[in-house]
Amino acid sequence: MADLEVTSQQCSGKVFYLGLKGFLDAHTFERLEKTISGLFAQGHYRVVVDLSGVGYIGSAGAGVFIGALGKARDHQGDLVLLTPSPAVQEVLDLLGLCQIFRIAKTLDEAQTFFS
Amino acid sequence: MVTAIRRDLSIQLQTEGLQKVRAFIAEIVRASEMEENLQNRITLAIDEAITNIIKHAYEEKHQDRIRITVDVSPKRFEVVIYDSGCSFNPKEVKAPDIQQLVREGRRGGLGVFLMRKIMDEVEYVFHEGVRNELRMVKYL
Repeated sequence: MADLEVTSQQCSGKVFYLGLKGFLDAHTFERLEKTISGLFAQGHYRVVVDLSGVGYIGSAGAGVFIGALGKARDHQGDLVLLTPSPAVQEVLDLLGLCQIFRIAKTLDEAQTFFS
Repeated sequence: MVTAIRRDLSIQLQTEGLQKVRAFIAEIVRASEMEENLQNRITLAIDEAITNIIKHAYEEKHQDRIRITVDVSPKRFEVVIYDSGCSFNPKEVKAPDIQQLVREGRRGGLGVFLMRKIMDEVEYVFHEGVRNELRMVKYL
């Protein structure tokens, strides 16, 4: 497995899906940060991040989401987290992020958060 | 019953080494027969500590090495991280206000927050011009 793979795909309703595979730590977070910044630069502020393929997340990875969320919401968008793995969920819980982020169980559910 | 284990690892002061540290901790957890659910948390605390050391090191120090020693006994998991970079005292870092970080689009202090939340003891000793020692303990 590569350290972090990020795939991007436009869904309906101007929502962008980002699929992550690998781990999100201080070594890899900039790759995701660049992808999200690129979407924002193009005016795409509705983003779903699929975390089901992420085996490990550290504060640098969670910090990418924290850094992007306010900007997305300032532009009437959102950054929705999709199906975090148990290890990732534990870190989100420790940081108290489950009260701040919308977390979806399916892509369909994630898309309803934007309507 | 947890099996007593003492291991050590040395890595370069670069984020590429974080994956190696996580694998090292996973191997210790398996070998010591600790509860597996502690693995993710303890690994996270150690990963955050090393990330902070790397982040605060001078650029020219990145060829230096960090040494990590782990001592597991039936009652405690102890890790000591030695480095010779800039001093970095976690006690000087304030607890983050996540809502404020979101509002301001910033991040910071999350790693130290996690270290303190997960581990029962976090102690830092700075030997000026020689080395820094960060000692963290989790009671089992």
